[in-house]
Amino acid sequence: MEIRDKILYAIVAFGIFYIVLTLFFSQLTLGELQMTKSFGLAGIYFFNAIIALFLGTTSFYKDVDRKVVYFLFSKPVTRAQFLLGKFFGLCLVLLVASAMLGLVYFGIVLYEHGGFDFVGLLAIFMQFLEMALFIAFAIFVSTFSSSLVSIVFTSAVFFIGHVVSALLTDAKAIGLGGIQYRLVQLIYYVVPNLEKFDIRDLAIHSVPMPLASFGLALAYAAAYITLLLGGAIWIFDRKEI
Amino acid sequence: MVEFSHLTKTYKKKGNAVDDFSLTVNVPIFGFLGQNGAGKTTVMKMTVGLLEPTSGSITIDGVPSRDLASRQKIGFMPETPYFYERMTALEFMRFCGSLFQNAGGRDEAYEALLKKVGIYGARNFEIKTFSKGMRQRLGFAQALVNDPEYLLLDEPLDGLDPIGRREMKEVMRDLKKEGRKVFLNTHILYDVEEVCDEVGIIHQGKLLYAGSVRAFCAGKSLEERFTEIVEAHDAKADAAKTVAVASASEIAQS
Repeated sequence: MEIRDKILYAIVAFGIFYIVLTLFFSQLTLGELQMTKSFGLAGIYFFNAIIALFLGTTSFYKDVDRKVVYFLFSKPVTRAQFLLGKFFGLCLVLLVASAMLGLVYFGIVLYEHGGFDFVGLLAIFMQFLEMALFIAFAIFVSTFSSSLVSIVFTSAVFFIGHVVSALLTDAKAIGLGGIQYRLVQLIYYVVPNLEKFDIRDLAIHSVPMPLASFGLALAYAAAYITLLLGGAIWIFDRKEI
Repeated sequence: MVEFSHLTKTYKKKGNAVDDFSLTVNVPIFGFLGQNGAGKTTVMKMTVGLLEPTSGSITIDGVPSRDLASRQKIGFMPETPYFYERMTALEFMRFCGSLFQNAGGRDEAYEALLKKVGIYGARNFEIKTFSKGMRQRLGFAQALVNDPEYLLLDEPLDGLDPIGRREMKEVMRDLKKEGRKVFLNTHILYDVEEVCDEVGIIHQGKLLYAGSVRAFCAGKSLEERFTEIVEAHDAKADAAKTVAVASASEIAQS
């Protein structure tokens, strides 16, 4: 259903327009490759984040709230199948959007500098992993709250997830102790550390990502998504619809 | 055969929506009657697996309704159906068909069902453009997508104009001829009198009567008999409450 949503097409169209604009940005900086990559990858990230937030917080909730699930669950479909289908379906939409934005980006990099940006491809994949985690979180919250609450929670996790590492480091550096430090530790362990998926700086400077870091990020995303979806299924199975 | 055995559904705030409900349904068209909020929809939702009973059980041809296998045999039309609005009617039928084992029915079969309920001409229109009556008809059609033995229809004639109602009742009679069993929830007594072989009267979650329409009416109109039985139950409940309050105050005084 989501692929017929005009809002989705509008977001992707804006994304493509923005990435094409990097051609002009790079002209302003005398065709500097880093500038093209920086703007391009940031654009893909930003527009994918909007898509993930938009789809993750509304799609699942709407189906349940508007009772469309009555058609599904009166047929041989379990709630877990529906929830997992929704997650993978939304990820697929995101993958297609990433591919479309990525194609434009690689086209521009190729046109401007005559080479393929392999680390950029990895950066886009890592961004996709982050967004998949983001969608899993939004679905998890949607199983026990409204769409609006899900938007607030998911946005909060998005911002905290990017500073959680720095938060713990700073807490250690300033010698925070007692209950305050424990609180920071709790946030560090509960909120996903989204910085693990941010390799845009490496991509901009064409520095390959260490294999161990890639493996760790992959395992981290898989573990987190499994936990979130497992929790979501557990809650949704017990929910009166 | 659909069997309900000591079925109870309790909500924390509302109390018992269905209370020790036992019934066996084995007739071609069974009408389930009750006022709004009597518990009809709750019973139906538990039958198709949308709600878990607090206690008791439901079996469909011996298969517990909790078992996914039971859903292969049933078709369900919810009250006020909601759809994926951007799909066309035919796409929605394909989607519903794909959810069953041996999925992948042919378009001709889906089109025949849309013809049967009278919206074939709108098969390629997006559902968001449909009127309430057309939505009811599509809800009916999707319930038939797996060629079910049992059809559970929750207020299927709501929102239909007189001609639409007549057509849908005709479809139900056709289904009866095909050997299917229809379980019909409604509060419109006139429709029940016309199409049902047996009725069940539910009030405040309790089954007050189950049996043939003719035996129930005993020469009176269904509406008259329905009102009598519901009012008699309420009077009995009120009397029991009064006695309970009186005994409680007597105990308190002594």
